[in-house]
Amino acid sequence: MPTVPPSTRPAWWPHFNSTLRSTAVTARLGLVLGIAIGACFLTGLLSYFQYQAWEWLPPPASPVWGYRVTQGVHVATGMAAIPLVLVKLWSVYPNNFRWPPFRSVKRVVERITLALLVSATLVQLFTGFFNVLNWYPFRWDFVSVHYRLAYIVVGSLLLHVAVKLPDIVYGLQTKVAEGDVLTEIPWNENPESHSIAGPLPPPVTPGLSRRGVLTAAGAGIGVVVVTSVGQTLTPLEPIGLLAVREPSKGPQGVPVNRTAEEANVIGAASAPDWTLTIMGPKPYALSLAEIEEMAVHGARFPISCVEGWSANADWRGLRLLEIVERAGGTADSQIRVRSLEAAGFFNKTVIFGPQLSHALLATHLNGERLSVDHGYPLRLIAPNRAGAFNTKWLATIEFIS
Amino acid sequence: MKIWRILLAVVGIGIGTYGISQLLTQVPRQTLVLVALWLIGALIIHDGLLSPAVVGVGAALRRYVPDRGRRYLQFGLIMAAMVTVIAVPMIYRARTQPPAKALLLQDFGINLTVLLAAIGGGTLIAYAIRVARDRSVPGRPPPNQAHE
Repeated sequence: MPTVPPSTRPAWWPHFNSTLRSTAVTARLGLVLGIAIGACFLTGLLSYFQYQAWEWLPPPASPVWGYRVTQGVHVATGMAAIPLVLVKLWSVYPNNFRWPPFRSVKRVVERITLALLVSATLVQLFTGFFNVLNWYPFRWDFVSVHYRLAYIVVGSLLLHVAVKLPDIVYGLQTKVAEGDVLTEIPWNENPESHSIAGPLPPPVTPGLSRRGVLTAAGAGIGVVVVTSVGQTLTPLEPIGLLAVREPSKGPQGVPVNRTAEEANVIGAASAPDWTLTIMGPKPYALSLAEIEEMAVHGARFPISCVEGWSANADWRGLRLLEIVERAGGTADSQIRVRSLEAAGFFNKTVIFGPQLSHALLATHLNGERLSVDHGYPLRLIAPNRAGAFNTKWLATIEFIS
Repeated sequence: MKIWRILLAVVGIGIGTYGISQLLTQVPRQTLVLVALWLIGALIIHDGLLSPAVVGVGAALRRYVPDRGRRYLQFGLIMAAMVTVIAVPMIYRARTQPPAKALLLQDFGINLTVLLAAIGGGTLIAYAIRVARDRSVPGRPPPNQAHE
């Protein structure tokens, strides 16, 4: 295919002549990717809110499956976005080879913000996926970077949409087969791009068609989603060839995220003289035998992890609110529960508002006494609550207010 | 459209600046250096290694594989690449965790092989159907000859 290179362009400069790439293809991929990133961002913020809830707005307790759905969506869309972003970037790769490389200040500024968008998105998606795999080749605190990087991704994405809006509108309004040919030469300087060509017939795409590229990408992403989402969508667990977790294979039918060994609590948790200390206006203590005698309330809540896995379970135990009221508290109290675990971010958690009213101090899981990995002798479980904040191996209950 | 573009740009710059300032003020300096290295590394790996490799494969397919068969090969390869990119880190991480986590218990090498075989098999069947149909329509030349 002959081209019309700007006169100064060196002969060795790369030229892209595939007719598969088109603004019409890119705009469609970008639209879906934008929706996926938006869904990831919003569901991520919902989870972050549970991690840093405002005092005046307690996290809700209903629907009980709320956190399960939002974080299942977060991880599923994040995983789907990995192949999706790679195809999307394939479709615009020639734009990296515009000639001359530094044609204007405006263009250079755009390239810098694009570099930030692309690199932040890739790092965000891959480190998120690695976190789901409990793999930390990056040596930083995952949550604090993932949270801030999300704003950089979304901010630079909105800026990118603003810059490209005319192209996006053109791309979405044009039939896939008839759209311009996207090469390293901008369409408005390239008579062969077909978008300013007027009488030129639609570009020929021998081999796979543009629609075929979109279909293959959709099918590939579909396979990834269907075979991985079983970690939260229970009916699909049996076909979970790419499922990171298999919840039903966890002890007592529920996985754990932190084992008793990792928390170094096996000795303290199995001590027969374990007691639960309630430190309120009217402090008291409950022995293991008293706790087990009081554990008569049942509830069915899913336990749902920020890493995307979840499992519905039958719990039995004591109502936390009754314990709090006996110590002189009310449903408006702010309560902190502490684990036997000596240190770490998850050895204590604050619970207040509707989650306090609905929370159980559980002794039984799916009809059996809690195993030590699930928090024996006593753990917190509340509906619509981030899994990591359902503290295990409870030792004390304190009043903040 | 202009008002939308300005609005999007202003909101985008606002959110992005908030993220950058949060990162710079709330995260230890040592972490910032590592994050910066990862950001640059992601660009180098993607734009410098992965993309040229994909472009190279695409060019080789166009050069050596006839149009009719290439259509199916490209379709299968796109699907296979997407599944592989997710499966490879899982293969690497499989069976590294305590069993109670029910995390990465499977042999993902076998699972990836099954998925790739299914994709390859489906692609082959679709191609075989196409070849059979072309033969059954007398006088209709295969499309790769039609283009030449």
